[in-house]
Amino acid sequence: MKSLFTIVREQISSFYLILRLSAFEMKSAHTNNYLGRLWEILNPIIQLSIYWLVFGIGVRGGQKIQMENGTQVPFFIWMVTGMILWFFVNPAISHSSKSIYSRIQLISKMSFPMSAIPSFVIMANFYTHLMLVAVVMFFLQFTDFKLSVYYLQLPYFMLATLIFLLALSLITSTLSTIVRDVQQVVQSVLRMMLYLTPLLWHTDKLVLNGVNLTFLLKLNPLYYLVEGYRASLLGTTWYILEYAQYTLYFWVLILFMLLLGSTLHLQFRNRFVDFL
Amino acid sequence: MSETVIIQNVYKKYKMYKSPKEKLLDVILPGGYGEDFYALQDISFTANQGDVIGLVGMNGSGKSTLSNILGGVIPPTSGTVKTVGQTSIIAISSGLNNQLTGRENIELKCLMLGFNKKEIQEMEAKIIEFADVGKFIDQPVKKYSSGMRSRLGFAISVTVNPDILIVDEALSVGDQVFGQKSKNKMFEFKEKGKTIFFVSHSMGQVKEFCDKAIWLEYGEIKDYGPVIEVLPEYENFLKQHKAMTNEEQKKFREEIMKKQSGINVKPKISDNF
Repeated sequence: MKSLFTIVREQISSFYLILRLSAFEMKSAHTNNYLGRLWEILNPIIQLSIYWLVFGIGVRGGQKIQMENGTQVPFFIWMVTGMILWFFVNPAISHSSKSIYSRIQLISKMSFPMSAIPSFVIMANFYTHLMLVAVVMFFLQFTDFKLSVYYLQLPYFMLATLIFLLALSLITSTLSTIVRDVQQVVQSVLRMMLYLTPLLWHTDKLVLNGVNLTFLLKLNPLYYLVEGYRASLLGTTWYILEYAQYTLYFWVLILFMLLLGSTLHLQFRNRFVDFL
Repeated sequence: MSETVIIQNVYKKYKMYKSPKEKLLDVILPGGYGEDFYALQDISFTANQGDVIGLVGMNGSGKSTLSNILGGVIPPTSGTVKTVGQTSIIAISSGLNNQLTGRENIELKCLMLGFNKKEIQEMEAKIIEFADVGKFIDQPVKKYSSGMRSRLGFAISVTVNPDILIVDEALSVGDQVFGQKSKNKMFEFKEKGKTIFFVSHSMGQVKEFCDKAIWLEYGEIKDYGPVIEVLPEYENFLKQHKAMTNEEQKKFREEIMKKQSGINVKPKISDNF
């Protein structure tokens, strides 16, 4: 518990540092391309059109998806509202878990607040995410799913995503500094997650021998976040309250991850340089 | 004169692994695994304000390890390091981000060193003036010549106005004009009563700058005292070493390896973690 407070205090006191460093991080990522930051929109568009072709037309034959409240949602819109989170979470997890060992040479002082390193990497990805969310919101106004009061849930889910990413990155960035193989594990788990989260296919009918296995998928905190984003953007439910139990599960899990992550991080951070 | 650096019984132990498997075992097993290598053994000394201390010794004697510990970059395995005031290391590899411009690198590096917005704004102009890279300050660092790069790194390190400065083989960078400029800066620091550690293989530079010298040999302090006493001894040793036949040199190196594997380390030192 004490280590958790140390980490939280460090995050707050180095807030300015995190903002500036994330700005530099974003800048240095795109200096080599002529189209620069435009790629942050072009890449998702290319991926989305492929997924739409394969899953929307190929697999589903253009069929709409029925939400729990009965609304029929075209597959493309259903996919976009979930994938938008994936385009943030996927690079954020993989970059933040290698953030410490790939940057430790740049840090010339042990007194540097190390826990700010994964945070500024996450923040650098968050700016792109905000931009994409704005684009998707604009696009949705031309469909049947216009601005609604349910959008109010969105800031909550963004915050929840950020805290989830921080908790996870504290664990993975520490472990991957000690044992570099962890980065490979993270990568392959991420690849699995694309299919184990309701991003490309509707997971409500995962039934084997009469047992509904959807609850297994729901153990994944990303499930909660993706469905939350979708509920906010499509205006289907007040997801937080409708699934109060699931909300509780999510936060208990996050708290546990934060505790584990901050303990691990503080345990090893003085020795990070030695693991190079 | 007040003491600014107090080093007591500092050890730095590294593990040598024959395979990645051993590295993993070392992380998992509570007692650790792998062959020990002591880069530093039982280092104790104090330095006062205004001291300029040369660190001399052959390759692999632990000079860089010691300067990194002094600069607070790496932690010692055991022992205590007390430094009064801000420390700054000047090394050839200055750790700049190649994609960013010089100006951005200045801010980045200062942020990393823990300065706030206002302090950075004040320092920026001074750093740019000292680095003297002209219009290149707004170009990405990857387009710099190697001289420009080290000048920028040097300028940042000296402008942060440290109380304790560690110069690791860095005065040889740049052309003679810049060399003179950085030498003057060093003498200025010396007059201001800052503590300076100077790592160099050039006996001439050490004699020119330093009042005291620490002679490191296989991770231990062989001698610590005024330059006029330590350097002749060290030069003598170098001469003897050069005169040795290949066989003798090999034997000498083997002895060093034995010593550094921690044979003489008393079991009383328990690891800090």
